[in-house]
Amino acid sequence: MDNLLKHYNYDSFTPEKFEPWLNFENSPKTGSSAPDFPLWDLDQTATRLSAVWSQHDFTVVEFGSFT
Amino acid sequence: MNAIADEYASKNIGAVFLYTHEAHPGENVPHLTSMEQKFRHAQLLRDELGVTRRILVDSLDGACHRAYGSMPNMTWIFARSGLIVYKSDWTDAHSVENALSYFTQIPARRKAGERLAPFHVERLDYRNQERDQFYKRLEQNGQKAVDEFRDAFPTG
Repeated sequence: MDNLLKHYNYDSFTPEKFEPWLNFENSPKTGSSAPDFPLWDLDQTATRLSAVWSQHDFTVVEFGSFT
Repeated sequence: MNAIADEYASKNIGAVFLYTHEAHPGENVPHLTSMEQKFRHAQLLRDELGVTRRILVDSLDGACHRAYGSMPNMTWIFARSGLIVYKSDWTDAHSVENALSYFTQIPARRKAGERLAPFHVERLDYRNQERDQFYKRLEQNGQKAVDEFRDAFPTG
């Protein structure tokens, strides 16, 4: 687990560190059911991705970070 | 993307930003080592970059991000049932707006009696690379982030 945390949260943008994570080709397909995961609001309240997508006809989820 | 969220909110479209990991860590915004730090960085996104959409934070090991392909700035659209209806390995507001314009017609078309069946389509969209803005953001992260990007993509 510690190894996963360290490698996912890499400390340098170098190809050997960031390229292994880029795996869009093997991500879930359109037309399939979306995998559900726990998430947290900024106030640290727990929620789930399914609780988000079930609130509207369609939900746009942009993934990203400050950097 | 904020403007699109505002525009489509009245059409029963939700929009969130999901905080992942630091793609270009630098001296000022380093890589993540705790959830407390991850919440602080997500707040920076709201306070300094002006993201007005609801911001959700993934687990420290990026379980959700990794399951969806781990691209640094991708966009997905889900139907209320949890069906994946759109996936894009980069975020482009024009592409998302185009998709929403199409999807928001579906309830009305069904109501009008059309018998709609899903099908798959592949399309190559084009995004504005916004290089000046991107490098400005790298500089905010720290010189380390600028140098590492230039080393990884010398012609970038």
